[in-house]
Amino acid sequence: MKRNLVRSCILLLVSIVLVSACARGKGPAEIAIKGAEEAITTLKAEAVKYIPDEVRSLEGALAAAKDKFAKGDYKAATSEAQAIVDKAKGLVEVAKSKKEELAKTWGTLSAGVPKMLAAVQSRVDILSKSKKLPANVTAEKLAEAKSGLAAAKDEWGKALESSTAGNAADAVSRANAVKGKAAKAMELLGLPVPAGAQ
Amino acid sequence: MGENAPKESSGSDEFDATQYHVVVKGDTLWKIAQKYYGDGSLYPSIFEANRDILKDPNLIKVGQKLRIP
Repeated sequence: MKRNLVRSCILLLVSIVLVSACARGKGPAEIAIKGAEEAITTLKAEAVKYIPDEVRSLEGALAAAKDKFAKGDYKAATSEAQAIVDKAKGLVEVAKSKKEELAKTWGTLSAGVPKMLAAVQSRVDILSKSKKLPANVTAEKLAEAKSGLAAAKDEWGKALESSTAGNAADAVSRANAVKGKAAKAMELLGLPVPAGAQ
Repeated sequence: MGENAPKESSGSDEFDATQYHVVVKGDTLWKIAQKYYGDGSLYPSIFEANRDILKDPNLIKVGQKLRIP
């Protein structure tokens, strides 16, 4: 009877020690996860437009850290959450430089692409009045250039809308598509494609 | 007819989409329009695009660099 009582006391003591050890790690893990959440929120505000994949990856890492926390693995949860905070800080700089790069690219494209569209429009207008097309332009090529120009102008309008809305990545992506369409139309019409569009 | 004349865009602007024709002996605006548009009667478009250097559509000089709109 006495031996059983001693054994129970020992078991209880061990349990208390284990629970208190675990509980000691819970607090820091909670703080670390909260810090990681805040870091991601701060990052998302600006960076999601410029580095969406990296932000998504970080959110995945946060979910994994939370999962470990839920399973009681506070040490791993703390370590992963701290790593997220460090990575988020680095990504703020990456997003900043991506933003600058996009602004520069948009500046170049928004100045150059309209020149290509104007050149195509001018040639299409003149060739539409021609009684006989030049040797290097067939009626099919002219028709294809016309439809390509219409599509390019439509896409350019959307690129401008995206730029106005502050969506630089979409604006640049659309502007590059317009550049490709305009270059194709220029080739069809026998016009020289500018170096910036080759 | 200026077959060897440069057709490429020129200038420092990497998006300069202007087509040029350098006048060679025997060129007329009619012939140049025929070459680029297939129709000589469209020469006024070339003349208008080069009013800064052309005063008379019948007077073009060898070596002149004309914009082909």
